Amino acid sequence: MDAELYLDLNTVIHRLDARTKITLFIYTFIGLILFENPLWLLPLCSLILLHGIVSRSLKNLRRIRYILIVLTISSLIMWNIFASGDTPLFWFLDAESAIFSVGRTMLMLFMITGGMILISTTRNEELVLGMIKMGLPYRVGFAISTSLRLVPTIASSLITVTQAQRSRGLDLESGNILARIKKFIPLLIPVFISTIRSTNIFGMALESKGFGARDDRTFYLQMKMGALDYVLLIFGLIFTLTMIFLNLQGYGDIPGLIRF
Amino acid sequence: MKEVFSMWKNTRMIILVALSAAIYAAFLIVFKGGIPIVPGITEVRPANVFPPIFGLLFGPAGAWGAAIGNTIGDLFGGTLGAGSIFGFFGNFFLGFVPYKMWGALFNLVTKDDMAPTTNSVKKVIAFEIVALTASAACAVIIAWYLDLTGIVPYAFLAITITVNNFAAAFLLGPILLTLLYPRIKRWGLLWTDIMDKEDVARGFSPNIGSILMIVGSLGGLIVGIMLAAGVAGQEIYGFAGVSGSVAVWAGVLPFLILIIIAGFMLSGQEQFIEDED
Repeated sequence: MDAELYLDLNTVIHRLDARTKITLFIYTFIGLILFENPLWLLPLCSLILLHGIVSRSLKNLRRIRYILIVLTISSLIMWNIFASGDTPLFWFLDAESAIFSVGRTMLMLFMITGGMILISTTRNEELVLGMIKMGLPYRVGFAISTSLRLVPTIASSLITVTQAQRSRGLDLESGNILARIKKFIPLLIPVFISTIRSTNIFGMALESKGFGARDDRTFYLQMKMGALDYVLLIFGLIFTLTMIFLNLQGYGDIPGLIRF
Repeated sequence: MKEVFSMWKNTRMIILVALSAAIYAAFLIVFKGGIPIVPGITEVRPANVFPPIFGLLFGPAGAWGAAIGNTIGDLFGGTLGAGSIFGFFGNFFLGFVPYKMWGALFNLVTKDDMAPTTNSVKKVIAFEIVALTASAACAVIIAWYLDLTGIVPYAFLAITITVNNFAAAFLLGPILLTLLYPRIKRWGLLWTDIMDKEDVARGFSPNIGSILMIVGSLGGLIVGIMLAAGVAGQEIYGFAGVSGSVAVWAGVLPFLILIIIAGFMLSGQEQFIEDED
């Protein structure tokens, strides 16, 4: 499994400062949770799609298509169970709950898309440096960036171990949930041990290079905000504040919807 | 909670944060999408055995690892959303509670053998108590927030998360701890072998803190469910009634505060006795 999601392209979105991309993602996050009605989500969703098209990063969604399909189907069904309304359609479906389930599914899918655009257009080191420049302590930033780098490696070794154990007869699909959970032991131990045993060597390598010797540090990677960064940040801020204002005015609800 | 912050000056603890987070995230991602419970919020997670194990072996590094790993799991697994914010704090407590309570469990873990392993019946019981308390604390934090924001009802999610966390820890935890502890000890990677005792919170009343942590976590779970079912009309482990009810919000809040106060009362320094011997 290759879990490296960054796409090495030279689009206008790729060239933006990481701080801009992180802030735009936060705006997306805020905007998406404001409205229940999918019609009110459409403007923001269109912008996210445009963002994805310009950055040519939507192709990465293919890599998680199985998860997206499962989440979409279960979301469309389950949010109908979580809500009801005054206008029956058929069986347990009401018009209001159907609209609500579409809105919730859009929220989930576009939040995922927003996150995917961010990590497809931003290198791990840029992402972490961006967070450090926004106030995150660099030691915390180092831990996050190291985890991000290691996840693909560990995921690959987990898949390899899973296949090896399956070839020896491990059946993860049979039995009830408790029985299935017990079968994870032959997978958990080898991956855990092989990862953790490198800690001391890793630590020595870092300390030999002066990690943690000083509280302040310089970075090889330099970041600079350009005119487009400021334009997009201001546009994003105005757009988000407008959506918050409309939400406070009561727009974006689904009339007749009863939740839970 | 001093060690939660002082650990960041130690290179090996920082590496353990990164490795714990990466292991937890990798397991969450690979087994994500299998059996969703609430789409985009939670699914069946055998990987939830890791935070208590990380916490007991790596201390505060394990707690931070669980919190960061859960967020990375959401990011890569495609479920980054409203739940991720308090998912961070909930998973932090899933790793934090076990190591803080381990040495303050009414002599289930004695001063002459504080080793975080399950080599006796008393220690197995101690592990199950801390795992259950941590599971409930995690559930109370996440379910309180998601009910408050009107996303998922408390009476459903609090039970789901507690059972989901505790099932994995109950079944796999003692076995994993027995198998992993000797290696981690031999490699000198136990948090009590890495950190200085002075860098760990003294705690002002660990035994009472332990009781308050149990009351805050399990009390928050039970009282929250009763309020959700009684006042907000929610169904226990079902979807009916009103979420975002003030009664649930205000009723669970004191228990959340109790969990945080208990965190300050608990220490962790008592586990350094083994080294002094």
